[in-house]
Amino acid sequence: MSNVGKLWKITGTATVLVLLAVGGWLFFRANKPVQQTGTSIQFAPTTAAEGQFARAEGLREFSFPLDHGPHPDFQTEWWYYTGNLQTVEGRRFGYELTFFRRALTPQPESADDGSDWRTSQVYLAHFALSDIETQDFHYQEKISRGAAGLAGSKGAPVYEVWLEDWSVREVGADRYALSANTEGYGLELELMDVKGSILQGNHGYSQKGVEAGNASYYTSQTRLESSGKLRIGEDTLNVSGLSWMDHEFSTSALSVGQVGWNWFAIQLDDGSELMLFTLQREDGSLDSFNAGTIIEKDGTTRTLGSADFKINVRETWRSPYSGAEYPAGWEITIPNEGIRLNINPLMPDQELNTFITYWEGAVEIQGDRSGVPVSGFGYVELTGYAESMQGKF
Amino acid sequence: MNSTPPGRVIKTVFPRSLVRLGWRYVVSHAWQSFLMVLGIALGVAVMVSIDLANASASRAFSLSAEAVTGKATHQIVSVSGKMDETVYTNLRLSGKVELAAPVVTALVSSEVLGGAPLQLLGIDPFADSPFRGYLGSGNELDTESLTPFLTRTGAVLLSAELAARSGLVPGNSFTLDFEGRTREVFLAGTLSAADALTRRSLNGLVLADIATAQDLTEKTGQLDRIDLILPEDDPGAATALQADLPAGVRLEAVEARQGSIEQMTAAFQLNLTALSMLALVVGLFLIYNTMTFSVVRRRGLFGTLRSLGVTRSEVFTLVISEALLVGVVGSLLGVGLGILLGRNTVNMVSQTINDLYFTTTVRAVGLPFSSLVKGGVIGVLATLATAVPPAVEAALVEPRAAQLRSGLEKKTRLITGLMGLAGLILAGSGVLLFQIPAKNNIPGLAGTVMVVIGFAMLSAVAMRGLLTAVTPLTGRLFGSLGRMAPRNLVNTLSRTAVAVAALMVAVAVTIGVTLMIDSFRFTVNVWLEQTLQSDVYISAPSFTANTSTISIDPRVVDQVAAWPGLARADRLRSTAIESPDGPVNLSATTNPDVGKERLFKAGSRAPDEIMQALREGSVLLSEPLANRLNLSVGDSISLYTPEGERNFPVAAIFYDYASSQGSLLIWMEQYRQIWGDTAVTSIGLRLPPGSDPDQVVRDLQSGLQTDQQLIIRPNKSLRQDVMEVFDRTFAITAALRILATIVAFIGVLSTLLLLQLEKQREIGVLKALGLTGKQLWQLVMLETGLMGLTAGILAVPTGVALSLILIYVINLRSFGWTLQFDMRLGAFAMGLLIAVSAALLAGVVPAWRLSRMEAAEAIRYE
Repeated sequence: MSNVGKLWKITGTATVLVLLAVGGWLFFRANKPVQQTGTSIQFAPTTAAEGQFARAEGLREFSFPLDHGPHPDFQTEWWYYTGNLQTVEGRRFGYELTFFRRALTPQPESADDGSDWRTSQVYLAHFALSDIETQDFHYQEKISRGAAGLAGSKGAPVYEVWLEDWSVREVGADRYALSANTEGYGLELELMDVKGSILQGNHGYSQKGVEAGNASYYTSQTRLESSGKLRIGEDTLNVSGLSWMDHEFSTSALSVGQVGWNWFAIQLDDGSELMLFTLQREDGSLDSFNAGTIIEKDGTTRTLGSADFKINVRETWRSPYSGAEYPAGWEITIPNEGIRLNINPLMPDQELNTFITYWEGAVEIQGDRSGVPVSGFGYVELTGYAESMQGKF
Repeated sequence: MNSTPPGRVIKTVFPRSLVRLGWRYVVSHAWQSFLMVLGIALGVAVMVSIDLANASASRAFSLSAEAVTGKATHQIVSVSGKMDETVYTNLRLSGKVELAAPVVTALVSSEVLGGAPLQLLGIDPFADSPFRGYLGSGNELDTESLTPFLTRTGAVLLSAELAARSGLVPGNSFTLDFEGRTREVFLAGTLSAADALTRRSLNGLVLADIATAQDLTEKTGQLDRIDLILPEDDPGAATALQADLPAGVRLEAVEARQGSIEQMTAAFQLNLTALSMLALVVGLFLIYNTMTFSVVRRRGLFGTLRSLGVTRSEVFTLVISEALLVGVVGSLLGVGLGILLGRNTVNMVSQTINDLYFTTTVRAVGLPFSSLVKGGVIGVLATLATAVPPAVEAALVEPRAAQLRSGLEKKTRLITGLMGLAGLILAGSGVLLFQIPAKNNIPGLAGTVMVVIGFAMLSAVAMRGLLTAVTPLTGRLFGSLGRMAPRNLVNTLSRTAVAVAALMVAVAVTIGVTLMIDSFRFTVNVWLEQTLQSDVYISAPSFTANTSTISIDPRVVDQVAAWPGLARADRLRSTAIESPDGPVNLSATTNPDVGKERLFKAGSRAPDEIMQALREGSVLLSEPLANRLNLSVGDSISLYTPEGERNFPVAAIFYDYASSQGSLLIWMEQYRQIWGDTAVTSIGLRLPPGSDPDQVVRDLQSGLQTDQQLIIRPNKSLRQDVMEVFDRTFAITAALRILATIVAFIGVLSTLLLLQLEKQREIGVLKALGLTGKQLWQLVMLETGLMGLTAGILAVPTGVALSLILIYVINLRSFGWTLQFDMRLGAFAMGLLIAVSAALLAGVVPAWRLSRMEAAEAIRYE
């Protein structure tokens, strides 16, 4: 009796198990998880290559357009294009198109007949558009090796820098074509340099720290008259305005304790420009290597030291993305020049959450110079608020 | 009446006393139940093991493919296999695609890493993360750590598991073998994956930067393909992109591409499945036979039960429950046994697929759970289905004393006639099924099963005729016993016929498959004789047993051209090229006698005319390719060339057994002109009469200046190698044939045991009448021997029919090969031997038991 019961129990259980198995199989088949590639890598130890790069250790001769091109002996180099544009109806936009070059090693191992893809140069580019009317901030990042024609820069025969289909090319004397397109927005501009290349700092040598070599070579084109087409959504708009180009190369610009910088590019309606940068220290204190340049309408420049100007932060903005708190309104005074300027972002949210997290945004300027009211537009860059730039630049 | 308590309902549905009755029967006939369980277990085991093998092979393929294609939806490939890297650069600079990644890939191996083929995957880490993500994605890309990977020559990444297994730590150097050349590389780092599936894929990978991969494979300036992710909701994107691509490169959907590769193995896998099902069918014969027997035996009991008020449905349930018990236990056992068997079948099947179709780099894929479930469920359901007829028969027993056996046997006589007729109709319908054109071979296989079962149904009629015919002969040889034995068998035809049919089917499968393999082997031998006309062959080592597509060092080609003491050196370029019908294997030849050295299908032109047409740009198709694309002489085949799609007239169709995908032959000059590819993958050397090929091989091996390891072998050893691969390919088929025979053997054993034991009473009477032990032995052995002989004789025509179907229907449909039927008597002798020995062996136990039994005891039994 008990035997019989047991047997049926076993048979019953076995049947249920088989049915469960079938059910399970069907279920898992239907709910097959999406392939996940949660891979992690353990690398062979590498030796720091920084020591083998050239360093910015003193004055050098600049020759343009060749020096608009790359300086691969240095580890880091960037080409920064920023600008404020508007349509005839007065709709305003800010844009940023930046190319970063970073060398992994001074020279890659490579045979002469080896692959064209072998390189130690990595290019990174950011393309951002601030739609002031809608307060929408768009940005995209691209990264590529600086090889196989995918990304690179040249000083000759003409200057050009590109990463895939984002590029700036010299198309004539002091004339450049800027082109960048991505999903939802794009820009095709012609830039006309009306002032020529400006050497920042001490004849283009910009000291950033007390150690020799903690410096960069820094040149700019501070007044690029810009016109062309801007695509946003379904619309293509005719725009014009002013752009600013910074070109900087170095091997280790930041010293110990420096985590980032604030950078101001101000284009005033009296035909002058002002560049200021302050270095962010870990402890929040003022760095003695803060500096600036005044570029007069005729192109003459005067260098400003850290004691020459004062920047008061009047407002702050906390990023909902990174959580970092950024300054969002400044009062700048340069007593010796009789300059007092109020600077306000055209919109608060201009943070890029990319390979590095930073704020780069269009600003408007109101103030006076020697008692005469001036106004203008410009760009401000704030780094080191969300993460330290130490080791990255 | 309506207020029946719940307990009572259950009892009504299934009274406990009935359960006990069933249980007691199962237990008291334990050995009988054991054989049933064993039969079903073996059938399920064979099926599970083959399904495991098929599922593993498919999974190994998809994992291998997934490891390299990742999330790509489309690929840009070159029609000639070589793609200029500027195609990618231009695509990027145009800004038309956001998600694109260049790929350089090759199969490599390394002694240090175990010698198995590995996929060298050259990627651009900056573009690759949306596709494979092996190096971290987006912002997580750690370019600093990647520095050696990107900047140092020979830097590769391996899975942590593979590295550890090979005793490598990051920084170690080792060598890779690529197309017969040795490459120095070093381990720049190791990859670990969180989930098991990715880990398995990684174990077959050697990951390198695209620059390293180009350098290692000497593909400077070239890509193998470009992976793309195109939006699913925008089919126009693909069309627009294709329009922008330069001539000679094509955009293809990944799914279609992989589907066409996977399809190549579908026929092979389907045939294996069908063959494994045969083992189950034989097992089911056994169940049917045993269940019927047990019902017939208990007719009296069922009659009594029915008169006691037990309903028809209760009797039915009783019998079905017994079958369920056997089915569940047998299937569970079978699944376990299948896993054990699977260890061998998985290897055999993957070996064959790797030999014939594609190289998988993923080996261990884990146990496909679905195969086990499928096998178990089919086992239980099939057992239940088989038990239905006997259960119905039991339920139909009238509630009175048992019907007399003689009445049943009388009915059987009528039924055998009807069965025979039905068998003829079934077999005929099976043949009709072959006429249905279908994409896969399911109608063909269904037809085969119908023909076999049809023949099995005929076996009762045939048996009656055969036994009646043989009676005078056995009578003369063995006297009255000799007349008695066949008569006994005829009188119990209702069960003996089923046993004979089961044995017959098993033996017929053995004969049929043996004849098919023999014919195949014979055909391949004749084909090799005709096709391999050169005395010495040079090729580069390759991972497939098929035609090698690995280029020979051009310096070797030049040196061989100037080698003294050769009559001629024929060069061959084999490669896969794109066509509207998917990749097509192409061979370009310089052999001026190729028109004479192929076996052409009837309807082809004269050799001279074929050669003339070939030189003028026509092509020759192998039979499988012609069948697959449905092309005949006079038609054209469309191929993608660097200048676009082009039609090539078909001058002839030749027999070829190198691959089931087929291939086409083109004149070398034409090929080079159109595709601009000067590679050579094989050289055939003709020696002047009287030369010693082995000496030439030795001279070449020591004299050729190259860094490439080459395979240089005389005609004889190439032929041996080909036959070795052939035998390896059929190893699984041969193994299945043996397994099916074992299942049948067990079936016959149990059936005969039952039959003899049932006759205990009769034997007892005979013993009482003075039958001696020796005579008893004679009687039993005569009966079983006759059954075996009958099965063996009936299996001959069935086996021949089966082999003809396998050769002219299944093989031709599945693989496109026409085989020459080669009938060897050995197959029949073996079939008869199996049948008779199984039958005789089955007679030993009952004969021994019965001879020891006292007459009175035997009569008293039950």
